[in-house]
Formats: sequence, structure tokens, C-alpha cells
Amino acid sequence: MQIIQLCSNHCGTVILAYSGGLDTSCILVWLKEQGYDVIAFLANIGQDEDFEAARIKAEKLGAKKVFIEDLRSEFVEDFIWPSVQANAVYEDRYLLGTAIARPCIARSQVEIARREGAQFVSHGATGKGNDQIRFELTCYALYPEVEIIAPWRIPDFYNRFRGRTDLMEYAQKHGIPVPVTPKAPWSMDANLMHISYESGILENPKSHAPADLYLMTKNPEDSPNTPDVLEIEFGNGVPLKVTNVKEGKSKNSPLDIFSYLNEIGGKHGVGRIDIVENRFIGMKSRGIYETPGGTILLQAHLDIETFTMDKEVRRIKQGLGIKFSELVYNGFWYSPECDFVRHCINKSQENVQGKVQLSVFKGQVYILGRESPKSLYNEELVSMDVQGNYDPCDASGFIRINAVRLREHHRLQGVSSIKK
Amino acid sequence: MSKGTVILAYSGGLDTSCILVWLKEQGYDVIAFLANIGQDEDFEAARIKAEKLGAKKVFIEDLRSEFVEDFIWPSVQANAVYEDRYLLGTAIARPCIARSQVEIARREGAQFVSHGATGKGNDQIRFELTCYALYPEVEAPWSMDANLMHISYESGILENPKSHAPADLYLMTKNPEDSPNTPDVLEIEFGNGVPLKVTNVKEGKSKNSPLDIFSYLNEIGGKHGVGRIDIVENRFIGMKSRGIYETPGGTILLQAHLDIETFTMDKEVRRIKQGLGIKFSELVYNGFWYSPECDFVRHCINKSQENVQGKVQLSVFKGQVYILGRESPKSLYNEELVSMDVQGNYDPCDASGFIRINAVRLREHHRLQGVSSIKK
Repeated sequence: MQIIQLCSNHCGTVILAYSGGLDTSCILVWLKEQGYDVIAFLANIGQDEDFEAARIKAEKLGAKKVFIEDLRSEFVEDFIWPSVQANAVYEDRYLLGTAIARPCIARSQVEIARREGAQFVSHGATGKGNDQIRFELTCYALYPEVEIIAPWRIPDFYNRFRGRTDLMEYAQKHGIPVPVTPKAPWSMDANLMHISYESGILENPKSHAPADLYLMTKNPEDSPNTPDVLEIEFGNGVPLKVTNVKEGKSKNSPLDIFSYLNEIGGKHGVGRIDIVENRFIGMKSRGIYETPGGTILLQAHLDIETFTMDKEVRRIKQGLGIKFSELVYNGFWYSPECDFVRHCINKSQENVQGKVQLSVFKGQVYILGRESPKSLYNEELVSMDVQGNYDPCDASGFIRINAVRLREHHRLQGVSSIKK
Repeated sequence: MSKGTVILAYSGGLDTSCILVWLKEQGYDVIAFLANIGQDEDFEAARIKAEKLGAKKVFIEDLRSEFVEDFIWPSVQANAVYEDRYLLGTAIARPCIARSQVEIARREGAQFVSHGATGKGNDQIRFELTCYALYPEVEAPWSMDANLMHISYESGILENPKSHAPADLYLMTKNPEDSPNTPDVLEIEFGNGVPLKVTNVKEGKSKNSPLDIFSYLNEIGGKHGVGRIDIVENRFIGMKSRGIYETPGGTILLQAHLDIETFTMDKEVRRIKQGLGIKFSELVYNGFWYSPECDFVRHCINKSQENVQGKVQLSVFKGQVYILGRESPKSLYNEELVSMDVQGNYDPCDASGFIRINAVRLREHHRLQGVSSIKK
């Protein structure tokens, strides 16, 4: 139940996660209508936005204050890097670009709320999605006394604004500048890690997405006909440096590294997926994602990790990575269990260091080779030409001991267990 | 005086030819067994070679259809992948070959079976030296294993994990740089989690037997350079090894199956099944296809596939597979429920309660932790 205070003014201060778009502009005005003082908070997490124009717009709409925070570096270091360590993937395909942005934004929003003495926070996430959960669980975890206003779950709001037309009408009536260009027939969310596309014409799972949908990656049919070759150096499971092998140029701050990987990945059309996924709310939804830099990093990290990590530690860590991905997808970044899993994953990365060389071409990433001072790879041990510190007779014993149980089982089962 | 009969898994290559001769030298009667599991081999020439080397009998079995239906199809149901990258092309071939080999052993009353897999033993070194004397062929710069599902490359110059593989190494897939500049669009129809039919959407042609479907997916995947990986993996024996694999058809199928499965399967069943799939992959990788635990896991995975039916459309281009769309009579996807334009049978206020209940635990935890848990 949302508590709507029908007081005339000064109900309190609300920090609104403002995007500059139609929805949150209408929400800003509507919150003022309800009697709140509104502070607009716009997070720069790498989306393509005119931030100064958004600031002016928010002020014109009556925001008491406007905060624009550049969160790009902390997004990379505090959210993307742990996800790289985890090989974070939800349901085998989704690289979590939106899911990890929400706690980053909400963390900042809550800091502002505390600083400004605001009782309320608000957002424009819909009532059927995951983002409302991700925002709100983060807010409750970091600021338990907070009160959250989610207009898209308030009947007075969503019955009044049943579609885009209603919002446009309200905007015109209240002097909110309406977008001149027609909206794409789908919804987007963009940040440094990815762009996601959902809803509208994409809701039909059978229909193919239009070829001109993508904004962050080039169509592989039009991407360069020669590959780029990169060397990524890792330390503690995160990138320290990326070098373009042919051109010789390097980047070595987290933000520069990730941005460069996006550039190369984008140029070659890497990281496009079209999936149906299971939302935490319980329904399935169809989404299209382009995650260029993140896709390159996933492949490179998988490689250096298996090269340096013990086999059995890897097995356990793989399970933790899947758990981490589910927790993050569902909005539990800030929870004791996710803190714990992140800690364990970080511990596993102690020796995940070295260099991976890979090529990027026409939508695909190809690992070419790898080296590490901490590798458990032993060329002599594995060699077919040198025995190394290995006695093949041990393999006979190993196999026969493993077979004890199978032979006993077969003796009971009889010959019927063949042909299965 | 014969020491007994041994069924040798014969490949026609240098190693198993040497083993054949060596076994005879040791006093065994040798029956050569050559399994056709889709590798590119002149089987009749291999038969003649084995006979010339002194094999008492030679059996050549076409196992391709059972390889697809009894081994590849269950792996497709499982989304089988070892350590996130290896699609298990060799691991699933071994039990297929060995099953047949054992049937022959029982039929022929043979006491022994033999194979050419390396063990790095003294005997191995001894007969290799004999071999090089008998067969002065140039040793390949690496070792290969080929079957209907993949070709794997290991050893030799590939043992240096830093070195890049030569561009001309691959035999089953075209170099994406030389592959066609227009994609192929396929529709794969699934039933019970396995392919029933594949159709080339532009050309209109279809295949509908398991072997024909899989072979066709290999053809399209191979043509577009799909399924190439260069990895270091953890062997069961305990050491790491570097291998290169090309698995064209299997890679297309993995992506298509992942899609139709998530489209039709309950979320929580999928979570459990995902774990079973990983377990299945490890068991198969380690050689436990025929084991009670793997029988059990296969049974559970098969049960999960009951409603995994429908059609997936995808495009194949320059080494990559792109899912375009999917449909199913058994889908749990509800357009009205998810729509942003229609409320459907959904009350947004329920989400408030759901969120607040989930937050109870987090708020309590924070109250104990204090403000220190921010900035993490």
C-alpha cells in the first residue's frame, strides 16, 4: 500500500531518479502536484544523454535541486569488475547490464537522500518489471527507514496515465517539453555496459527484431573485414590493461579499458543477443541486448581463470557465479548473501592474473593464446613427447578404482543396462 | 599359443596400427574394430590395412545414427558444456564406441579390449619407437580426434598455451574471414527438447531424421565458421591441457535449445535443471556416461524436457549464431501479462507487497550493520 499524503505542500522531500525522459518528467511534476519538494537526481552511468539540457529541464519543471553525478568510474570498478570476476551470466545468456546499474544508481540516490534529509525516494520503473525491485531492495537495504514512492504502482497514477498519449497530454498541459522525434516502437535502457530493448513490437516473441534497432554495435554484415587483435592483462581477476596488438595503443584505467573494449566490440558487432528470460516477478519477457565490451571480457576472463585456477576450486566458484548472477538479477546486490558470495568469488581470484590474446571479428571473439606467472598449466606434465613427473601406471589404478562402483552396480543390474 | 582374443578400437592411424602389431607380437589374436562415428575416413582402405597387419577379423560399424540419437540428443537436452566452453564432442563419442566394442567382445567371446588412448607408459614409448622404425611417416605437428560432432586438436605445437594456432589448422569449419557474406536463416523444430526438423527458410529445404538434421547443421555451421574455440581445460587426471575444438552443428543446437527451453520451461525447474546439466557435463567429461548417477541425471533432464517443444528461427553468419524469434504451443510466455500497454491479469500493488516482504530481512540486517554497508 502506498501512503499518499494528500497534504497541500511540504509533505517532505523526495529524491527522484530522473532520466530526462517523458515518464520521469511527468512524475516530477506529478510529485509536486501531490505536495512534495522534489530533488532530481540524474546519474551518468555512460548513457548517451545531454546532461546539462536535462538539468535545465528539471529546474524548469520545478525541481528544488538537481544533482547530476558522474558514476561511470564507480560503475566499472564497484559493479562491472565484480561481475567480470564472477563470469556473471543470467540463465546462460544475459550479461546483467541493467541489473548491475540499478544498485549503483540507487546507492548514490540514497546517499543524497541522507545528506538532504529526505524521507522519500521515487523512480519511474514500471510495476511489471525487475528494475522496481532492484531499486527498492537497494534503498531498503541501505536506508531502512526510507519511504518509496513508485508511481507506476499507484492506481491513481497508472489509471490516470494509461499510455504514452496520456503522458504527452499531461506534459503539454504542464509545460513539459515533449520529444519532437517519434518514439521507437520499443523501450530502451542504456548505460556504459549495454543497451537493452524490450516491449512494444518486441513483445511478440516470434517476430524478428528490425535490423536497425541496435545503437551500440555495428551490424556484423557491415563491420570491418579484418579483425582487431587485443591483449588483455588481468590481476586478481579484473582487467589491468588492454593493448591493441597491431596498433600498439594501450589503456590502463578501469573506465578507459572498459570504454575501449566497448569501442572495439561495437565496431565488430560483438555481444548481440535476442532472448526470452524469466523475470523475478514471475512472467517471461523478451529482450534484446547488446553488450560489446562485457562479452569480450567474459571470454577473456573465462580463459585466464581456467588457466590459473585449481579444477575443484573452479567447480565450486562456477556455482557461486551462477548464484551471484541470480541474486543480482533479482535485485539483491546489497544483501548479506550477495556480500558473502562476492567475498568468496573475490577470494577465488587471487591467482587469476596473466595476459590473454584474442581477436574480435564479425560479432565473435576468438581466444588466441594466454600466459601467466601463476598458471597451473605444466607443459612437461601434459606433453605427449616428454613423460614429466607422471607415471601412467597410476592412471590404470585410478581408472580401476573409479570402476569398482560401476562394476558392482552392473553386477546387480545385469546385462539390461547396456543399450541405454 | 594364443594368449586370447582382444578387440582393438582401431582408427586406421599410426598409433592403433602400431598397437595392432604390438599386440600380435605379445601373442594375442587381434580383432580390429573400426567405428564410423562420422569422421572423414576411407573405411575400406582401413579394413585392408588392418587385415594386412594381421587382424584375425575386422568389424566396421556405422554408429552415426545411434551416436546422434543416443548421445548427442541427450547432450542437447542437457545444454551440455564443460567448464563453460567445451561442448564434449570427444567425451560423448567414447561411450558410443566402447558400447559397440563391448558388444563385439561378448559376441566373439573375447577376454580383452584395447584402445590407443595415450597413457604415457613405458609400453607406449616402446611400441612408438618400433612404429617409427616401421612407418617412417612424418609425425603431425599436433594430434586430432574427429567425429560427427567435432574435431579436436591437441598436443605438439599446441602444448604451448601462449602460441596462436595456425590459421590453416581447422578442417571442419571455414575461416569466418572467408565464409559467405550473407547469412543462412534456419528454423529448427523441437519436441521433447530434441530437434525434429530443420528447415532452411530461404531455400525451403528440410531435413527430418536425426542424422540428416545434425549433418545439415554441421554443413551450415561449417560453411559459416561457427563453433571454433581455443581453450585450456582441466583434465580428470589432474593436469591442464590446451585444446582447440570446432563444433559447428552442436554450437547452433546449443543456442537454439537454450532459447526454446527458457521459452517453455518454468523458471524454478530451469534453475534446478541448469545445475543438473552442469553435473551431467562433468560426469560425461570424466567418462561416467554409463554410471548409475549419470543414468539418474539423464532421466531427470529428460523429464524436464516434456514441454520443450516449438520452433526457433536463427541466422548463421561469420562464426556466430543469432536467435531471431521463437514460437511454441507449450510456451509459458504470456504477451498480455508482460505488456506495457495492457494491464492483463496483474495487480501492480502486489509488487509493492512482494518487494517489501523481500526487504524485511535486508532492513533488519542493515539495522545491525549500520551505515558501514554503504560504499561497498
